[in-house]
Amino acid sequence: MTKRFALIGATALALMPIGAFAQPKELVLYCSVNEEWCRAQSEAFMRETGINVLMTRKSSGETYAQIKAEEGQPRGDVWWGGTGDPHLQAAQEGLTEEYQSPMLSELQPWATAQAETSGYKTVGIYAGALGFGYNSTLVTENPPACWADLLDERYAEDIQVANPNSSGTAYTMLATMVQLMGEDEAFAYLAKLHANINQYTKSGSAPIRAAATGESAIGIVFMHDAVAETVSGAPIVTVAPCEGTGYEVGSMSLIKGGPNPEAAKMWYDWALSAAAQEIGATAKSYQVPSNTSASTPPEAPKLADIKLIDYDFAKYGSSDTRAALLSRWDAEIGALPK
Amino acid sequence: MTQTAIEFRSVVKRYGTATAVAGIDLSIVKGELVTFLGPSGCGKTTSLRLIAGLELPSAGQVFIAGRDVSRDPASARNVGMVFQSYALFPHVSVLENVAYGPVIRGTPKAEAQARAREILEQVGLAGLEARLPAELSGGQQQRVAVARAIVQQPDVILFDEPLSNVDAKLRRKVREEIRSLQRRFGLTAVYVTHDQEEALAVSDRIVVMEKGRIAQVGTPSELYEHPASPFIADFIGDANLIQGRVVQGQFTAPGMAFPVSGPDGPATLSIRPERITLSPGGPDRVLTATYLGSRMEYSVATERGEMLVSRPIFEPRLTAGQEVSLHITPADASRVA
Amino acid sequence: MKALWEGRIGLIWSGLLLAAVLALPWYKGGATLASALAEGVAGRVWLLPLVGAALALALLALLSRDWRIHPAGAALVGAGLGWLLLQGFGIGLRGPALPGLGLLFPTALEGQPGFGWGAWLAGIALIGALAEVLAARGFCRGERFAAFAIIGIVSALSLFVFFPIVKLMSAAFVGPDGTLALTPFLTRITASDLWSLGCLTGSGRCGVVINSLVLGILSAALATALGLALALLVARTDFRMKRLLRAISILPIITPPFVVGVAILVLFGRTGLVTVEVAEWFGVRPTRWIYGLPGILLAQVLAFAPVTFLVLLAALEAINPTLEEASTTLGAKPVTTFRTVTWPLLRPALAAAFLLAFIESLADFGNPIVLGGSYDVLSTKIFFAVVGAQYDLGQAATLSVLLLTLTIAAFWVQTRWLGRGSYVTVTGKSDAGLVAPVPGLIKWAAVAAVVPFVLFTVGIYAIVLMGGFVKDIARMDMAPTFGHLWTAFSFEFNERGIQLFGSAWNSMITTLWVSALSAPLTMAVGILTAWLIARQDFTGKRAFEFGTLLSFAIPGTVVGVSYIAAFNVPPIDITGTMAILVICFVFRNLPVGMRAGIAALAQIDRSMEEASQTMGAGGGRVLRDVVLPLIRPAIFTALVYSFVTAMTAVSAVIFLVSARHNMATAYIMGRVENGEYALAIAYSTVLMLVMVACVAAMNGLVGKRKLGRRSTVTGTPHPAE
Repeated sequence: MTKRFALIGATALALMPIGAFAQPKELVLYCSVNEEWCRAQSEAFMRETGINVLMTRKSSGETYAQIKAEEGQPRGDVWWGGTGDPHLQAAQEGLTEEYQSPMLSELQPWATAQAETSGYKTVGIYAGALGFGYNSTLVTENPPACWADLLDERYAEDIQVANPNSSGTAYTMLATMVQLMGEDEAFAYLAKLHANINQYTKSGSAPIRAAATGESAIGIVFMHDAVAETVSGAPIVTVAPCEGTGYEVGSMSLIKGGPNPEAAKMWYDWALSAAAQEIGATAKSYQVPSNTSASTPPEAPKLADIKLIDYDFAKYGSSDTRAALLSRWDAEIGALPK
Repeated sequence: MTQTAIEFRSVVKRYGTATAVAGIDLSIVKGELVTFLGPSGCGKTTSLRLIAGLELPSAGQVFIAGRDVSRDPASARNVGMVFQSYALFPHVSVLENVAYGPVIRGTPKAEAQARAREILEQVGLAGLEARLPAELSGGQQQRVAVARAIVQQPDVILFDEPLSNVDAKLRRKVREEIRSLQRRFGLTAVYVTHDQEEALAVSDRIVVMEKGRIAQVGTPSELYEHPASPFIADFIGDANLIQGRVVQGQFTAPGMAFPVSGPDGPATLSIRPERITLSPGGPDRVLTATYLGSRMEYSVATERGEMLVSRPIFEPRLTAGQEVSLHITPADASRVA
Repeated sequence: MKALWEGRIGLIWSGLLLAAVLALPWYKGGATLASALAEGVAGRVWLLPLVGAALALALLALLSRDWRIHPAGAALVGAGLGWLLLQGFGIGLRGPALPGLGLLFPTALEGQPGFGWGAWLAGIALIGALAEVLAARGFCRGERFAAFAIIGIVSALSLFVFFPIVKLMSAAFVGPDGTLALTPFLTRITASDLWSLGCLTGSGRCGVVINSLVLGILSAALATALGLALALLVARTDFRMKRLLRAISILPIITPPFVVGVAILVLFGRTGLVTVEVAEWFGVRPTRWIYGLPGILLAQVLAFAPVTFLVLLAALEAINPTLEEASTTLGAKPVTTFRTVTWPLLRPALAAAFLLAFIESLADFGNPIVLGGSYDVLSTKIFFAVVGAQYDLGQAATLSVLLLTLTIAAFWVQTRWLGRGSYVTVTGKSDAGLVAPVPGLIKWAAVAAVVPFVLFTVGIYAIVLMGGFVKDIARMDMAPTFGHLWTAFSFEFNERGIQLFGSAWNSMITTLWVSALSAPLTMAVGILTAWLIARQDFTGKRAFEFGTLLSFAIPGTVVGVSYIAAFNVPPIDITGTMAILVICFVFRNLPVGMRAGIAALAQIDRSMEEASQTMGAGGGRVLRDVVLPLIRPAIFTALVYSFVTAMTAVSAVIFLVSARHNMATAYIMGRVENGEYALAIAYSTVLMLVMVACVAAMNGLVGKRKLGRRSTVTGTPHPAE
């Protein structure tokens, strides 16, 4: 008899929501930078505080979708990294928490601007310019220097870029093109470019990885991702397009109603500190940090040397613009024959 | 005073639309061995399983030792059962097989095993306790099965065609063993078989079943000598069924006439083949003569159709084609319809 | 005496029910004493009827002679169960889902969280009580254990198989405002990106449905052909590599997803070893030819050929050689015999193998996502509809309905085919006569197909074994290193004890936990289900059987989406927990244990169990004393299989993992997507080693006690990935 009830008990146990017993001293981190950096950053935080970091790395678009799906019952605490647009969108939809960190005063103006735009629901943690990288063993003559060069027939089926639906990088490119050329012209450009695209990847940095291994010749990515491949020994040359380019303000937000708000704020403040921001460079991430006293890695593309457009974060980070651009992309680019 | 061990009250068992048992009323007295006999599909096994609790009645009630057990599962009844295949547990020893029941019912293991040893000795299996069932002969396995069924002093012991897996030669011996054990332990027993000879040999009473109903209940001799219907007459032993008419107590059929009891009208008489005598010369003719060792069997053409006659081997033998006359004593004919 | 004993059993359920409503936290994440009573008094008055029912039942159990046959007992249990479900589903997180409840209970407008310990336990107690009530009325021949098992499993199946599918359907048909919306469904289901034949006419892309079907048919045809070649060589020739072939056929079962895809990329990608060599040879530019249909096809044929091989091998071995002998003695040449006797006898098995591979291909997720490039199939499209930034559950649900329809249609055809008198000649005595050798021509054709397959498989697994332990296999940087392993599994001893820093620890530990929890549960539920189906007669048994088969036929992606749709909100709010992973595996793999159990039970005389019953054993005791010891091999098969599947399955879990409970396969997928092939391969190798070690350990634990000739080696089917 006892055994029978032990069996029933075991079944009952298995059916119970195990997650109901939250362990203290935990942080659920949604991380949208490169896996390696995510790992290094989590590890550093664990060492410093003893708080166990449960980290999931997903692209910023996916993370945004996940936070939205979990709106009723948030499971994450902090969303760290990834382009600013989806962070702004989340802020606009009230998915993230307002928080004015004491560290704000130490930040670059573009980082605090991001916070102000969102009503302090997000903050800039790094910046990086959009560009592309090519594999110098595959592209030997007359390498591309401008966006327009990418339309060259030589690169048929040889360029990769992410799908703007899932990747913040690719959305930044879409928004950049629209700001650079005007909307209709931008879509005309993308339609032409489509002939040279071999795959729209899910992850924003995957295209440069493909270029690094030679699976593709050119990858459209943030320049620091391209630099990272060069540093790890791949024959990648990073290009800042001649027409000018957009940039991202990598951001961080507190998820509203997350399970560990205390730990989340600890992470938030810590992640804005100079020491924490210098970890990126050790993990082959060469973005420009937002803390003014954090040293910029020497490999990082110098923002001052790049022709940057005046990226309108408020407009292109808003849900309406984003939804409109994405659905137009789906209809006009995504549906094209391959 | 006789005590009722088992009682069926209007018991019905249906499977979906099929009716296996179509309303049975029956009492079984303590200490008797009752056999359910009938062709396959007549409901005899179902009736047995209704007693065991392996089936529950769709309607009606089953009483064991005066208690209504109609809704009790097998595990809550005190019955022992010997299965057709013996159903010994192959993975445990003979001793553990027999001690299983008492252990389940809460007897301490040592005591249960002591009792099992005792019973095994009584059925003549002393010394084989440690063997696995597969290491015993068929007859020994049978005795283990019986020992296992009686070790708990059940209210009733049930036998489900227990001889069907026994060699033809051994059957007589085994059934005698069963009968003597049943008598020795004073057990109430219910026995299922489709073999009428087996039924006649072991039973105190026989319940003949047909299509889910009881056709007749009686002692072996009652059934054999006074079958209540053509079906029973035919099912138990061989019978010559003669159709005719009764007018004023006189049965007439082509070439025969004698007094019977019962109402006037169409009637059927049953006459056992061994009750008919033959004399040479006469209106009838031997069609076949078959030598069976212990007796001769003749098929005889008569005005009433073919009749089967069985004669002792020491009588003068007839041959096919011979002309004969049949002689029937009115007392040997029973009216079955 | 007996009534008292029976009554005591009943008391346990009502005691459990009382504890559930009085002492345990009713809601998920609730405080210890926030029981139904406390919550009810504090304002959630709709919980009070449950408390009342529990008290009344306890009172009845104590006072009446036998509450189980008392009409009030049945009424209380029924009403309690009904109300538990009604209030749970009727009042959601944000307020009443049924407007009537809002009027009845104004406080319901504030909503309620999901079921917690108390509510779950109350449900279990009520189900137990319901089984008692039914058993007392003759259900299951009065066997209380069997009644509880049936009611319990039916409830669990309804909750974890039917309910999610129904929810999914409703997500496909019902608009966001809760009204029936056929138009969006029709728009979605007729969209040209599903059905377009553009790639055939040259005017654009093909729809995903067309892509899936083309892939499925090609993949199934090739896998069946290869499986036939393998089976012929093993069963009908003196081919020397028989043992190797059998060994290779086990590999796909323990191979984590993605890893074969990655190895194919390493070999045939644009910079792959083979591609580069061949391109240099012919002096052409290496291309990305492998991405898309060719790559997926290659990976699927490699994965499914072993499955078709096993099916066809069984069929070949079952053919009575005397038939072939008869043909030969009648003067037929080997080719004629093969064509006129062997081939027709094999046809049903070929059809079965084809459909099996077709279903697997439709459900396959791992290969298309790695190798698909721009070639979309249904399973990946479903994934992106939910996981991608668009998060369109309606779209995912519509696609899932489509995929489910295709799979069930194929599954139905397959069961029909096999159910209808297959001509396979199993006579039990086929030892007379020698097998007919395969005609030379066919033999050489088979060898020609099998040798590349073997070389290929060896090559792929060589990459898999090496890849994790060299610097970068994708770039052919072959410097040996444990760096990838260290990245995944680094740890340190420091003042906080042992700290696990490796990024794979979390997923590895979760995977082991989930597998270790789900394997025995799957086995237990599967074997219990098998026993119920084989040994119990009860109303609705056919529907019950169908339910278990259904959970088998549903593709993993569909299960994943349906679980999200069903379990993301109260009352059953378990997404993001480990429980949902365990539950998902238990019900997906249940048919495996069930089939192994049914096959084993078919060999065991039912009267042994009846004997045990007549000696006083209840259902549970019968199972423990008689059935389980006799079907040990089936238990082992079920245990190993569910363990291994839990470690390697990806399609369903990819939707159900969370930051806290990540699974190995989901982690590997992330790495593959990010191009970190070496890390993915290293992790996969570790996973395979862990599986082999665990299976060996289980073998020791369960043991293989052979009973005469009764050692069943069942060809285990597996659920559509």
